Amino acid sequence: MKLHDAGLPAPEGPWPPTDAMLAEPVDPELARQQAERLRAAWKTPEGWRYITAVNNTEVGKWYCMTALVFMLLAGVMALIIRLQLAVPENDLIPADRFNQLFTMHGSAMMFLFAVPMFEAVSILLLPGMLGARDMPFPRLSAFGYWCFLIGGIFVIGSILFDAAPRAGWFMYPPLATEDEGPGSDIWLLGLSFIEVASIAAAVELIVGTLKCRPPGMRVNLMPLYAWYVLVVGGMILFAFPPLIAGDFLFELERSFDWPFFDPTRGGDPMLWQHLFWIFGHPEVYIIFLPSIAIAAMIVPTVARRPIFGYSWIVLSAVGTGFLSFGLWVHHMFTTGLPSISLGFFSAASEAVVIPTGIQIFAFLATLMVGRVKMTLPMLWISGALAIFTMGGLTGVMLALAPFDFQAHDTYFVVAHLHYTLFGGMVFPVIAGVYYFFPFIQKKLMSERLGKWAFWLTFCGFNLTFLPMHLTGLWGMPRRVYTYPSGLGWDTLNLISTTGAFAIAAGFAVFVWDLIRPKHRQPQIPRNPWDAGTLEWCHDVPEEAWGVRSIPHITTRYPLWSQPDLVKRIDAGRYYLPDAEEGLRETLVTSVIDARPVQIQRVTGPAWITMWAAGFTGGAFIFPTFHWYPPAIACAVLAICCIIGWLWTATARPPEQDSKDAGLGLRLPTYAAGPSSVGWWAMWITMLGDATAFASLVFGFFFYWTASPDFPPDGAAHADAARVGLAAAALSLSWAATVAARSLNRAGHVGAARAGLVLAPLLGAGGAALLVASVLALEPTSHVYPAILWALAVWIAVHVGAGVIMQLYCLAGSIFGKMTPRHDADIWNVSLFWHFVALSALVACAVMGLAPEAL
Amino acid sequence: MTESNRPAPRKDQEEFAEEQASLLKITFGPLIWATHFVVCYGLVAVTCAKGWDFFLIRIVLLVLSVGALAGVGLIGRTAWRQWNARETGDFVNRGGHAEDRHHFLGHAAFLLAIISFIGVIFVTLPLLMIGGCR
Repeated sequence: MKLHDAGLPAPEGPWPPTDAMLAEPVDPELARQQAERLRAAWKTPEGWRYITAVNNTEVGKWYCMTALVFMLLAGVMALIIRLQLAVPENDLIPADRFNQLFTMHGSAMMFLFAVPMFEAVSILLLPGMLGARDMPFPRLSAFGYWCFLIGGIFVIGSILFDAAPRAGWFMYPPLATEDEGPGSDIWLLGLSFIEVASIAAAVELIVGTLKCRPPGMRVNLMPLYAWYVLVVGGMILFAFPPLIAGDFLFELERSFDWPFFDPTRGGDPMLWQHLFWIFGHPEVYIIFLPSIAIAAMIVPTVARRPIFGYSWIVLSAVGTGFLSFGLWVHHMFTTGLPSISLGFFSAASEAVVIPTGIQIFAFLATLMVGRVKMTLPMLWISGALAIFTMGGLTGVMLALAPFDFQAHDTYFVVAHLHYTLFGGMVFPVIAGVYYFFPFIQKKLMSERLGKWAFWLTFCGFNLTFLPMHLTGLWGMPRRVYTYPSGLGWDTLNLISTTGAFAIAAGFAVFVWDLIRPKHRQPQIPRNPWDAGTLEWCHDVPEEAWGVRSIPHITTRYPLWSQPDLVKRIDAGRYYLPDAEEGLRETLVTSVIDARPVQIQRVTGPAWITMWAAGFTGGAFIFPTFHWYPPAIACAVLAICCIIGWLWTATARPPEQDSKDAGLGLRLPTYAAGPSSVGWWAMWITMLGDATAFASLVFGFFFYWTASPDFPPDGAAHADAARVGLAAAALSLSWAATVAARSLNRAGHVGAARAGLVLAPLLGAGGAALLVASVLALEPTSHVYPAILWALAVWIAVHVGAGVIMQLYCLAGSIFGKMTPRHDADIWNVSLFWHFVALSALVACAVMGLAPEAL
Repeated sequence: MTESNRPAPRKDQEEFAEEQASLLKITFGPLIWATHFVVCYGLVAVTCAKGWDFFLIRIVLLVLSVGALAGVGLIGRTAWRQWNARETGDFVNRGGHAEDRHHFLGHAAFLLAIISFIGVIFVTLPLLMIGGCR
């Protein structure tokens, strides 16, 4: 078999399948045996082992339910807030408790509900929509889920111990940095931990969308949901890392008194605001787009016709994704930036209305030209569109800087953001729950209860938040724990509180309908809404294999346009109808045209993901209480767990180089380099990592811009000679790694191993030199030495990870996991090193050269 | 919903090959917008903070804006040709052939070029309407 440069033998056999091939019947006895083997391979663990499951349907369900519970808890906090504000001069709860409540309400709704809900829903639904057996990295999803669960309980639990963060959900310094008690640390470390889960999910979803589509599903045929997932995954990669960099600086200030945000020692609180909102505004769209994607799935079904303006919706998703990164300063209009700077952001904020509006008009057009059948999901979507449009209109008002000067930090903003989030997220997600419930649980939810829930929530919502516009315009600031009588706010607040309880009643009905036992319900039809997209070929009653055989797709709505599709899927006529070795497999296809290129083994149930998540949790949680020795122990154990997991379950040489995929197609079973899913995952992860590093470098130049003496006169600099030597050593370590890859591929295994011995030595030496170059500087004295230290630490930690990876490859080569032919590991490690070397050189340039240049 | 009435595709032409296509290409328009935005914001912020010559920077940025518009326009024109809807008569590109995907990516890039063009104009307006750092 011929080996490509990318390390993938070429597929052999007919492609695409002809109609005659597809029409040929499958022997029923063979089909039965195949189904049995497939069922055994994909069996969900039972009893107490159930929690070891990694299948997307299980992990997705847990993820959704956990996010729902956190949302309900945050909702209860909102009710307490509303009770406190119901009447003037109320003393139901003290001010400090009130601060904890509104901080936690915002943080939990954003970080523990809205963003994780996107990941949860996508993990649950995307493989179904793409006719994939599972996500490409099931254990990564499980790891992300357990991280989310541990971090979420830790963060939200703090409110029960009166130790919750209390500086507002955006944690502005100096209030948050100076705050006594562990509140701010809980926020920072707990949420950093959850951000790790988000990035893991983003990697998983992007690779899933690009590489695990069914054969034939070219990019112009993808379900719109997949387009949104792609855009939102990309946005997470560029939006979350600045916050992670911000958290890194913030925690260094909290724990070690490095003055990044302290103006008395050259720091600047504005840097936090920038980093937070570079994350924070795209985040709004990270929440909104996937929810509106649910609408893009429901609307064509309800209108009983294909979506009107597919390309236009792709335009609006991609366009919104980009433009949303140019809006962040509209949260900072009152911070005294030059008015021309405000102008840029105001203009971009107005421009984003265009793509957002286009997608709503595309939905309306689809409904207008279709034959609409009003269903419960559509009722919720209608409510969503109405509410979101109102939130959008107040957004247009707030994007105008002069109006914002008036309304800033008042209840007008509170009303605006709840209109956008309820209309843009809560309502569409609930619509999605009603719509996809038959797909998820193979049961239907109640039409009658659903209508009750809708009207209670919809009316309650408007009753709560519509008056708030006025409360705000009449001057009531947000986040005050009480207010005097006689300012005209009394009645409005009482109305809002009443409405809040109506929303709560609506949610109670919804949650009851969701969890009430439904085993007396008769078996549901397979496609209850007559939808056209692939997920509705699911098996009723449920099968864990995802799809019986992976179909060949040639249309956007295959269930409407490919008449024999479902029959052939069930018969096992299509690809991968069997699991001969009893192992889990899914099909990998090419990015643009979804040509089948590889059969990918996917991992099965495991405890190791839970151990890894638990120790990672310890590494983040113990520092909150300044218990560093157990934190370090946990970090080491987490690394051990992850190495063990990778070693035993990923990129193992398969028993045969290629195997039959069905319909006469023979596909390779092992891929390395750009054709493997692991390489893509590394590439995407490192893109996010590079963004975080860029945010740190941005910080350095921000200080230079913002203060007249940075670096201060006469300040000690990093030792230029050591910086130079570090740059050289790290570059050589990179070169040795890349050389080892080529030598190994060429069959010079001994030379490759020598390279892999040399590379970690050079890497460790380089990192040591870089840290040594700043050793003489005192990071607590001024922000200049502090940011040099931060850069050195950042690079050193990455080199540390890189050294572990080099040694992993060395061990792989010695113990037969990595051979000249099976070299995926070293491809991924060299990719990691490309990024490390680049960021090390940038860091060295900033540390060694910038003091001269500035 | 079916694709029965469409003309037979011009199969397997080289320009429709998968290797010629890239998802990144459709983002070129928005990338120009993003670069223009960052340069405008960054340069103005530094100019105002360091007291550089605002008038000069403004001229530079206006020239840059014209360049950005020209770049987006060029991308839009190429994408329009790639879509080629006037010749094929297919405005929705929902077929299952390489040609359909090729035209679809052209259409998406064309629409994104339009939105980027508008975006660049929006972001240029403050340069024209606001005269200084205050």
